[in-house]
Amino acid sequence: MNLQTSAAAGAAALALLSAAALAQSPLEARSGEPVYFRGWQYKTDVVQDNVDRYNREQGGKVDYATVTGDYPALMEQNLMAGAELDVLYANPSQAGRYFDGGWIMPAEELPGIDAIKEDMYPNILDAWTYKGRLLGLSYFVSTRGVMHVNLKKYAELGYGDADFPKDWDALYDQLYELRDKGVAQPFLPHWINEWYGISWAFDFEVMNRGGRIAHPDTHAPLLTTDPEGPAYKTLEDWKRIWNDGLVPEEVLTYNESSYIDAYASGRYVFSPQQLYDLETFNRPDRSQIAGHASLLPYQGQSWGLLDSAVYLMTSRARSEAHTDDVKRFASWYGYRDHEGEVYVGSRWMQESMLFSGYRSVMESEAAAERMKSALARPEDIPAVLEVYANTPYPKGIWSVVWAEEFNSWLKETLQEFVQDDGDVVETIEAINEKIADLNRKYGL
Amino acid sequence: MNAARRTAELSNLGFSLLLALPVLLFLVLVVAYPLGHALWMSFHEIVFFGGYRATFVGFENFADVLTDRKFGKSLWITVRFTLESVVLAMLAGLLIALVLNRPWRLGGLVRTVVILPWCISLYGTGIMFSYLAKGQTGIGTAIAYAFGVEEAVNFVNRRWVIEVLAIGNAWNMAPLVAFFLLANLKTIPRRLYDLAAIDRMSRFGTFLNVTLPPLRFTLFVFTCITTVLSMKLFDFIFVLSGGGPGTASATLTYRIYKESFKDLDLGAGAAMSFMLLALILGTTLLLYVFWGRRAARTA
Repeated sequence: MNLQTSAAAGAAALALLSAAALAQSPLEARSGEPVYFRGWQYKTDVVQDNVDRYNREQGGKVDYATVTGDYPALMEQNLMAGAELDVLYANPSQAGRYFDGGWIMPAEELPGIDAIKEDMYPNILDAWTYKGRLLGLSYFVSTRGVMHVNLKKYAELGYGDADFPKDWDALYDQLYELRDKGVAQPFLPHWINEWYGISWAFDFEVMNRGGRIAHPDTHAPLLTTDPEGPAYKTLEDWKRIWNDGLVPEEVLTYNESSYIDAYASGRYVFSPQQLYDLETFNRPDRSQIAGHASLLPYQGQSWGLLDSAVYLMTSRARSEAHTDDVKRFASWYGYRDHEGEVYVGSRWMQESMLFSGYRSVMESEAAAERMKSALARPEDIPAVLEVYANTPYPKGIWSVVWAEEFNSWLKETLQEFVQDDGDVVETIEAINEKIADLNRKYGL
Repeated sequence: MNAARRTAELSNLGFSLLLALPVLLFLVLVVAYPLGHALWMSFHEIVFFGGYRATFVGFENFADVLTDRKFGKSLWITVRFTLESVVLAMLAGLLIALVLNRPWRLGGLVRTVVILPWCISLYGTGIMFSYLAKGQTGIGTAIAYAFGVEEAVNFVNRRWVIEVLAIGNAWNMAPLVAFFLLANLKTIPRRLYDLAAIDRMSRFGTFLNVTLPPLRFTLFVFTCITTVLSMKLFDFIFVLSGGGPGTASATLTYRIYKESFKDLDLGAGAAMSFMLLALILGTTLLLYVFWGRRAARTA
């Protein structure tokens, strides 16, 4: 082989190598290091399947496992200890705390973040932005506490769409009418024994009634003891329905699945539930009220609060190449895959009607079709979208370092308030005092 | 005898210590260090946000815990839960041992079945008793429905939750108690029962005068063990009731967990842990003083 031939062969080889390098997907794993991905228990088979696809098609070494028990507390301990953890689920209320602890790497660090932000709805982007930085990518967005109605039972009692309560006051009044018609316990409140149970029930009812628990920027307490104020009316109504036996006592012991099962049994007329669980309640294999599970529409008052979760990346000590792999996987999983599709987000919409923070998912034909198939009636589609569009986000108590501490305290306080027939004014003052204490503790 | 030979010899104590050295080192590593660190934490205020820092606060954490109304309530819940658990576990264990001590055709199989609850993790036990006691899935509702009462019967309420927890805990511990008592029962000479029969003792009299005396020390030991296990129990309570409803089943271990891992107040959590340790040591010491010494003498 002469020199010219050798040079030509070398150039060809180089060209081939360059072409191969160019053909390599930018999301393909390269470090050979495992990426530890942890989440709570929700459709783990779907998650594992997504991870398997990444590992298979992008050469990843993603190690996925679920965490059982008190998820926020366990993840906090893991993060604090610098445990093997790279990507995790979190609610925005936890994400801010993790960021302040210096344990997570904001999504701002991802390549192409501007395009990602551009695809997000502004209110969602705002909810997930903490101290000016977008913390994570969209897992799901939903309205928790949207008022579900069992149309079958409602119709049997002689009610129709025109009778739908327009706000919380009207709802409580109607509960007494229903009781007088023979339904001893028409309401299943969101007072469950999950960390997001009774405390979130209070948060969303106060917000739905037009109140705010803490200032969104200063986080100063804002509740008043005015008898016409949202907090006072909320607690007073809770006392009333509890003391009058309109709600089952055991709701205080339910976990999420018991709560869903209880409402799916068809025993109750109203219950504030997760928006996406309309799909669950309309599935004949899962629910006694399939085909009759609907929601109260927006009639000037919002229902529930904006519940969402993000995929976060940790900032634990890793090599640069390893961190780049974490970013690649987070980007693939939390936004677009190597084929340019929002694969995971779209799949959640199809699997469980989980809404996404991305317009490209929510405004697609497939999403519209999925909603149509999951809902009881065609008129529920605009109702869902309108309720969703008007859902408030409790920035004052969630986008702050003490969010989880306050939530845990509030859960205990409210459970005792209900069971001990607590004093409304004292409870509101205690909530304000707790917020002020936490602000002092963290120098806010 | 030369000097070199003298220095090469070890006393009995020295030799024993040398043999025990690896174990002592291991204990220092796995027990003394964490215990020492926890003690250090109990005198500090530890902050993780805005940069990690630990500030010495003296006995402030202990004072805060002692003046906290919730601590007092949790202390009472712990005592009540422990007392009920221990009484149930010991009675059930004794009963099982007496039954198993009789000749059975399939004795081996029966013993295997009886030990099974002890083999189940406390997490699993918690889930099982949660289903059994809650109104939606529970045994109370099933019985009520069988009698035509269409109402859910929920035992995981403020009034009964401690009893539900104590029954579940005793269910898990009783087989272990039973097997040790059974081993003890097997050592009682048959002729003592023959002599009791000659004396025309009643069955209860035979139990009191022949069966029970040799069991006293084992009963004391297992009362101590079940007391300690009940006082430091966490996972079962966490799974079954989550400390609720409200704070109805928030034992000291649950309170320590909440203080340390939810509120991230590690100083107060550590102070509370030492109070629990004092409670455990104090209770077992009292048991020894009032029961154990006598039981050991007569054993």
